[in-house]
Amino acid sequence: MCGPPSGGPHSFVRSCPPVNWSLFFGELVSGLTLGSIYALIALGYTMVYGILKLLNFAHGDVYMIGAFVAFFVLQWLGGPISTSVTGWVAIAIMFVVAMLACGGLGVAIERFAYRPLRNAPRIAPLISALGVSIFLQNSALLLWGPQFRDYGTFTLIGVKTYSIGSNFFISNVQILTISASIGLMIVLALLVSRTRAGKAMRATSFDREAAEMMGISVDRVISFTFFVGSALAAAAGVMFGIVFGQIFTLMGFTAGLKGFTAAVVGGIGSIPGAMLGGFLIGLTEAFSTGYLPGGSTYANLYVFALLIAIFLIRPTGLLGSPVIRKV
Amino acid sequence: MRKVIVAALLAAGVAVLTTAAWGSTKAPKRASSGSNAGNALVKCGKTRTIGLMAPITGPAASLGQPQVHWANFFKNQYNRTHKTKIKFVPEDTMLGSANGTAEAVKGAQALGSNPAVLGVVGPAGSNEVKATTGALKGAGVGFVSGSATNTQITLDGTRTGFFFRTVPPDSSQSKSVANYMVNTLKVKRVYIIDDQEAYSTGLADEVQALLKAKGVDVSRDGVSQQQSDFSALINKIPRNTQLVYLPWQLPPKGKAFGQQMKTLGRGGIKLMGSDGLFDPAFSGLGNNVYDSFFPLNPADPRVAAFKKNHSGSELFGAPTYVATQVVAGAIDRACKDGTATRAEVRRQIKKTNILAKTSLLGLPLKFDRHGDMVKKPFGIYKSQKGVFVRVA
Repeated sequence: MCGPPSGGPHSFVRSCPPVNWSLFFGELVSGLTLGSIYALIALGYTMVYGILKLLNFAHGDVYMIGAFVAFFVLQWLGGPISTSVTGWVAIAIMFVVAMLACGGLGVAIERFAYRPLRNAPRIAPLISALGVSIFLQNSALLLWGPQFRDYGTFTLIGVKTYSIGSNFFISNVQILTISASIGLMIVLALLVSRTRAGKAMRATSFDREAAEMMGISVDRVISFTFFVGSALAAAAGVMFGIVFGQIFTLMGFTAGLKGFTAAVVGGIGSIPGAMLGGFLIGLTEAFSTGYLPGGSTYANLYVFALLIAIFLIRPTGLLGSPVIRKV
Repeated sequence: MRKVIVAALLAAGVAVLTTAAWGSTKAPKRASSGSNAGNALVKCGKTRTIGLMAPITGPAASLGQPQVHWANFFKNQYNRTHKTKIKFVPEDTMLGSANGTAEAVKGAQALGSNPAVLGVVGPAGSNEVKATTGALKGAGVGFVSGSATNTQITLDGTRTGFFFRTVPPDSSQSKSVANYMVNTLKVKRVYIIDDQEAYSTGLADEVQALLKAKGVDVSRDGVSQQQSDFSALINKIPRNTQLVYLPWQLPPKGKAFGQQMKTLGRGGIKLMGSDGLFDPAFSGLGNNVYDSFFPLNPADPRVAAFKKNHSGSELFGAPTYVATQVVAGAIDRACKDGTATRAEVRRQIKKTNILAKTSLLGLPLKFDRHGDMVKKPFGIYKSQKGVFVRVA
């Protein structure tokens, strides 16, 4: 027990250690940065699950491919040392090309690996998803090798750190990641709630057969969902390369697992849930590293302990709703 | 119909048995396990076979490739100047990959069961040495590493007489590092982060103990080699820390850590790596980066010859040249009468005596009873304009 210093020499109340605000704000910013990336990945999982009830395990590898596409775009532009455009323009081009390429990849994966199995038992597309994941990972390894690739963010845009007071520090790449991620989430929320395509997605998710009878092209809606989800994963991959410096062909596995966990924690199928879950996982990872014993070594232990704890209290995830089945 | 089926089954059975019997006579003899394997007599012939274990691919490929290049450099020189030839059987250990040491163990088993292999160069990492000992020792084969530096792997007695190394142990590295930090850099607050591998934790333990004994305030942490986001860990490093010590094995991770230090406003803190980070990826971080590295004679003409065809930054692999030299020399001596056993090669490795003038290390090479070099100094380097320059 601790409290304010009581002053008496024989007091049994210990004085609290001073709060390390620098550490607190540092972990907060790190957690939000990491959470932004997880949230974008989680959105892809949750959108596909919402529409197809399929766990797309290849999603983490689409994220990796996105990071590599952006890297090759950067090289094509002459970067990071002598880019033919300014650093920020190069980053914008990297984002756009990677998102379009991975959106296309997502559509292709759905068309060739999942659509033929749409009426098969649910285990079949699940195994197919695992197969696509391994195929993408090993193809990347074969094509691009195992070595780390460096975005050279310092050279590309010049990393600057801003401070508010003496305890709050945030860099321009962290601001970029968090704001771009929140921006993409707002665009997605508007897309789903305000557009015809979004309405079709919601209808398909609610009842695929009824949507089809109402004249909605379910195949097109599913392809569009894969496009959007994969594009968001690509954006997350580019953000990872910019913030953490390096990309490698095996990076999709762990990130995919965390993104999937975020989607499940938030309530799989729920878009706001995926966003919340992503930030929660990122913050848990950062704060457990900063504050809990052995945190930097066992951060994943704490993350998955949180997952179990949430499931014990709310089996459907934080914002998930129980499925009502007619019996 | 039934008779036809029975006849077909019988014919198929006979065919399978015949094929199996033929296969067993044609397949190369596999070395049996245990000590018998070490005593199996092998005709040396004109071409002698050496196993080469290194992380040729995987996250530590930037360390493994230089080792392979230096080993091949020795092989080419040797084959040009000798009547007998050497050839390698390479095995990729994929150090640092998600499979842990599984690939290294598979490679060791393959080399152990290949009767032509008389000695092995490698493996690279201390964890890999520990993991592969069973397979290599069981097959009776001696192995010489050019980079495994964990102090205990020679002192724990598990592989004495089988394992040797052409690099000094961490106990030597830790002394050089701690002395330089305290006596030259005059640091009082040091943060040590190991990468949770045997090499890293062993070296971190030793440096931590030495620094504490010298009155330095030391904090300790650990992080997985699989991780790329170090920001949460960096936030924990107090801002008044003077030096962060990283006894890591993957230069790209060291680079990412250094970059994230700068991103989080801690670019002013000195960074010091170990021999595993002796790479341009790490030295390129800036002028407040230090490293420790193996002994090497940069004036040796072989270093210049190597640099002609390879990057000068590949010096990490130089001790593997010496390891190959040790194994090839031992096989030559064991093969004097035209035949040799793995046990004879091991005995000859133990008797190695390379004079200073012919040693790439710049000092004579002899092994003590544990398999360590008798003379084992470590150098300290500082990054200047992106290149490591020896300062102590």
